[in-house]
Amino acid sequence: THQTHAYHMVNPSPWPLTGALSALLLTSGLVMWFHYNSTILLSLGLLTNILTMYQWWRDIIREGTYQGHHTPIVQKGLRYGMILFIVSEVFFFAGFFWAFYHSSLVPTHDLGGCWPPTGITPLNPLEVPLLNTSVLLASGVSITWAHHSLMEGNRNHMNQALLITILLGLYFTILQASEYFETSFSISDGIYGSTFFMATGFHGLHVIIGSTFLIVCLLRQLKFHFTSKHHFGFEAAAWYWHFVDVVWLFLYVSIYWWGS
Amino acid sequence: MLGVQAQMPAPGQWTTPPFDPRFPNQNQTRNCYQNFLDYHRCVKTMDRRGKNTQACDYYFRVFHSLCPVSWVQRWNEQIKQGTFPGKI
Repeated sequence: THQTHAYHMVNPSPWPLTGALSALLLTSGLVMWFHYNSTILLSLGLLTNILTMYQWWRDIIREGTYQGHHTPIVQKGLRYGMILFIVSEVFFFAGFFWAFYHSSLVPTHDLGGCWPPTGITPLNPLEVPLLNTSVLLASGVSITWAHHSLMEGNRNHMNQALLITILLGLYFTILQASEYFETSFSISDGIYGSTFFMATGFHGLHVIIGSTFLIVCLLRQLKFHFTSKHHFGFEAAAWYWHFVDVVWLFLYVSIYWWGS
Repeated sequence: MLGVQAQMPAPGQWTTPPFDPRFPNQNQTRNCYQNFLDYHRCVKTMDRRGKNTQACDYYFRVFHSLCPVSWVQRWNEQIKQGTFPGKI
């Protein structure tokens, strides 16, 4: 019985089921945490979710890299999938921008009718946030350098450029964490802090996810998983990284700069 | 404010606030708020110049007509405690 087409016939897998169950545990765990300050269910949800992600993607790497199931037609499907995922992420962030502009364009009289609201001291956009902007822009350049080195088979440059991109991502995260300690407002003391921390916090989470994605790519690159023609895992990580970069530019211009 | 004096009705004939083109919408929250602010700014300026605050009565009557009583009570309490967020 041999296959006369290039599509990937997947085998039965437990990960969709464990993934769904872990997602249910995660939401229930968040409710238990917010409502009863109990973290048992949340920890269980996080643990099972991380285990599912690790094992599911491990299986995908085995199927794609070692078993050769990721033919050009399968890669086309993966590309569409990644594009649709990023589009859904765009709408996710559009929601937070909507909340921000809804609250800030016509500030309610309870805020003093102005933005930032009376009594709020925002962060100076020309200090650390500007540094963060240049760090992320530089990482966008270095990941392009990594991609071109990969396509040209220049292994040393690829390793170097990818490592630089990851380090810039980690630097960004550290800077954002230190900025959060500097703020005089909090997520719970009013609409300014709520919109600020909701939008920048979820962006920060996405930077951490993107950095993890890039770290996985570096580990795979060190194990020779990528060739100059077959490296969609890396391309997906690069798309995601550019997306996170663009979200930051909108955050910077809207919330840090215009919003201060 | 365009012709405040011209908008003032004869004593006893004052009914509801006239249409204000700055606030053309059904929601008159900001009309109420703006007149509350204008009244307090007016009183502050008149007091500083040692003038009669009677010119400010118009704003007073507009915001008293438009604003819910509970809002005015809360704002007055905030002004007393120095926590009113508006700029007077």
